[in-house]
Amino acid sequence: MSAKTPDVVAAPDRQREQGRALTRLLPYLLIAPAVIALGLVLGGTLFRNVLISLQEFGRRQLISRTTEWAGLDNYVEVLTNDRFWSTLVRTFVFMAANVVLIMVIGTLCGLLLLRLGKRMRLVLSISLVLAWAMPIIPSTTVFRWIFDTQFGLVNWLMRTLGFSGYDQHNWFDSGLSTLTIATLLIVWTSVPFVALNLYAGLTTVSGEIYEAARMDGASAWRIFWSIVLPIMKPFFLITTFLEIIWVFKAFAQIYALNGGGPNRASETLPVMAYVAGMGQQQYGIAAAISVVTLLILVVAMSFYFRLILKQEKEQS
Amino acid sequence: MKRKLMAAATVAAMTASVAACGTGGEGSSDTLTVWLMTGSAPEPWLDELNAAFEEEHGVEVNVELQEWNGIQERVTTALSEDGTVDVLEVGNTQTPAFAATSGLADLTDLKDQLGYDAWYESTLATAEFDGRLHAAPWYTANRAVIYDKAMWEEAGAEVPTTRDEWVEALQLIEDNTDYEPIYMPGQNFYVFAGFVWDEGGDFAVEDGDGWVGTLDSPEVEAAMEFYSQLQSFSDSPTDNDEATPQQATEVIPQSEVATWIGLPWQAEAALDALAEEGRDVDYGYFPIPGKTADTLGSVFLGGSNLAVAERAGNKDMAVEWLTMATSAEWMTKFAEATPMLPNQEAALGETEEGSFLEVMGETAAYGEFFPLAPGWANVEVVPNPIKEMMTAVLDGEAHESAAGTADAELTERINRD
Repeated sequence: MSAKTPDVVAAPDRQREQGRALTRLLPYLLIAPAVIALGLVLGGTLFRNVLISLQEFGRRQLISRTTEWAGLDNYVEVLTNDRFWSTLVRTFVFMAANVVLIMVIGTLCGLLLLRLGKRMRLVLSISLVLAWAMPIIPSTTVFRWIFDTQFGLVNWLMRTLGFSGYDQHNWFDSGLSTLTIATLLIVWTSVPFVALNLYAGLTTVSGEIYEAARMDGASAWRIFWSIVLPIMKPFFLITTFLEIIWVFKAFAQIYALNGGGPNRASETLPVMAYVAGMGQQQYGIAAAISVVTLLILVVAMSFYFRLILKQEKEQS
Repeated sequence: MKRKLMAAATVAAMTASVAACGTGGEGSSDTLTVWLMTGSAPEPWLDELNAAFEEEHGVEVNVELQEWNGIQERVTTALSEDGTVDVLEVGNTQTPAFAATSGLADLTDLKDQLGYDAWYESTLATAEFDGRLHAAPWYTANRAVIYDKAMWEEAGAEVPTTRDEWVEALQLIEDNTDYEPIYMPGQNFYVFAGFVWDEGGDFAVEDGDGWVGTLDSPEVEAAMEFYSQLQSFSDSPTDNDEATPQQATEVIPQSEVATWIGLPWQAEAALDALAEEGRDVDYGYFPIPGKTADTLGSVFLGGSNLAVAERAGNKDMAVEWLTMATSAEWMTKFAEATPMLPNQEAALGETEEGSFLEVMGETAAYGEFFPLAPGWANVEVVPNPIKEMMTAVLDGEAHESAAGTADAELTERINRD
């Protein structure tokens, strides 16, 4: 009897151990398809992109299928180009302006959603969802025509309101003006994400807290500062980082508005890479610009991931 | 631009995927893929030609129409792959660039079969590169002034024979009517080129092994002055070209324009669009006036060549199709069906008096080309430094500084292959 006991005990043990191994493996198995797909689609492309950035690669090399290694020449050319640095600064200023506007207006809309009555809340939600759902190219095309020099709605409106000088005003005649219109467009389509998510988050906050604060005589500003902001801090942090990444890589809006013009004055880094590559067929230079852009984004992303990891730790 | 965007993803993805294709040919022996530009070949002519070709060779011809916008990227991609395209139409200013990449088949040994000796000599310059023939000239077209006869009559303006008379006529329209005297976008760079050549200037000159931009020169400055003078009669913004918005179909039908400068098919497209708006317009045509009455204004001899892709899936049949399409017989039919100039004199029939074609015939002797450097194609891609210079000068920047910036960019690009 006693000699047999270990065997009897061992059988379920082994099973349990196998089960445990499976449980340990399961998450990895589940995530594997996503990782493999990402690796193939993004990893492969990224690898090729880095290879191209190390080559002299233009129309001739592409068609004649020759490989001309250039070492870090492309990077040197990009990093010693004044246009690259002014574009980098422009990209950051543009991004900062957009993110601030998106977060402020989005937050205000979110708070408004919470306060509104049922009917108006529905109206506002629908307008927000519609703006969010608008595809990029159509909305950019519409904006392009609204601000058109000859046939544009804005010029007509300004004339009708009695302002002079809007007969043939060209809204795309400077980089600043073009990027301002791009900002309008991007903020308009990005606010809904912030507003709706904030509203969703706020509905989980019990109304009693506000009531208590009001009983204590707290002003609206104080309530926001001392109650909403601390409770929603993770939301604000993560959304801000997401918006930073989204605005930083915004391409279609800026390119479709004015092709990065006039005279390349509204180019941001992604637009600059596109113009160099697809426009001027300098694929090596374009690849180098995109690698540098990617590195900058990776730095931003690392903050984002640190935040997420920290939060998970706090929650567990 | 919008079409380009639809295909746009990130550069990283695009460049990599462009580079990644190029394996696995799909050329089969019983079909032929031909890339033509929209507006080039009249449909009945093309159908008849392809039916005749199919009957003779038993090969089905598959024509894929392409847009000019963004064409360089698409041709580059197509030429880098096996069997994507067999015969392709290449704009004449872009032909040297693609010939230099060795992506176009060498047709030098086929000169006799193609009827080389019959071709207009002037159009050959773009088809030959380093003494080798890389394409067959197909058609050319040059710009002329298109005017609304009724509006001109109302203003009391007459068809001019010199630049000064032209400006006077526009002034009459400005003074006596409410019409826009001339539609002149700020970046009509092909028209501007004619003015530059009128002054005896050019965009770049050969200098040792390379090329140097010559925009910062008295000739180009004088050309720009005349351009500004004409542009001041127009309501157009200074930062658009004749294609965005499309002048013939998007601007003219919506405005009361007395004069504009365009190509034959644009005149036809505008008349169709005007008719759709319920406007019955009678157009007259005259050559762009020269500085004096005994000469005409220079024009860019725009046009297209037909070439065979080096990596064609069906090269023999591609050569056969190209030979047939550019032959005297088919070019004659082509000339009957389109307002374009065919590649040889024999194909040119009688021209109607007062027609666009007649005006083009007159101006053909004043046709010019851009510098025939392989790198010229790089200059023409967006953002074209010459167009940026035109806008800057029209907006008040001094010629010297705007041209200096553009020269630097032009020199850098034209020396790149």
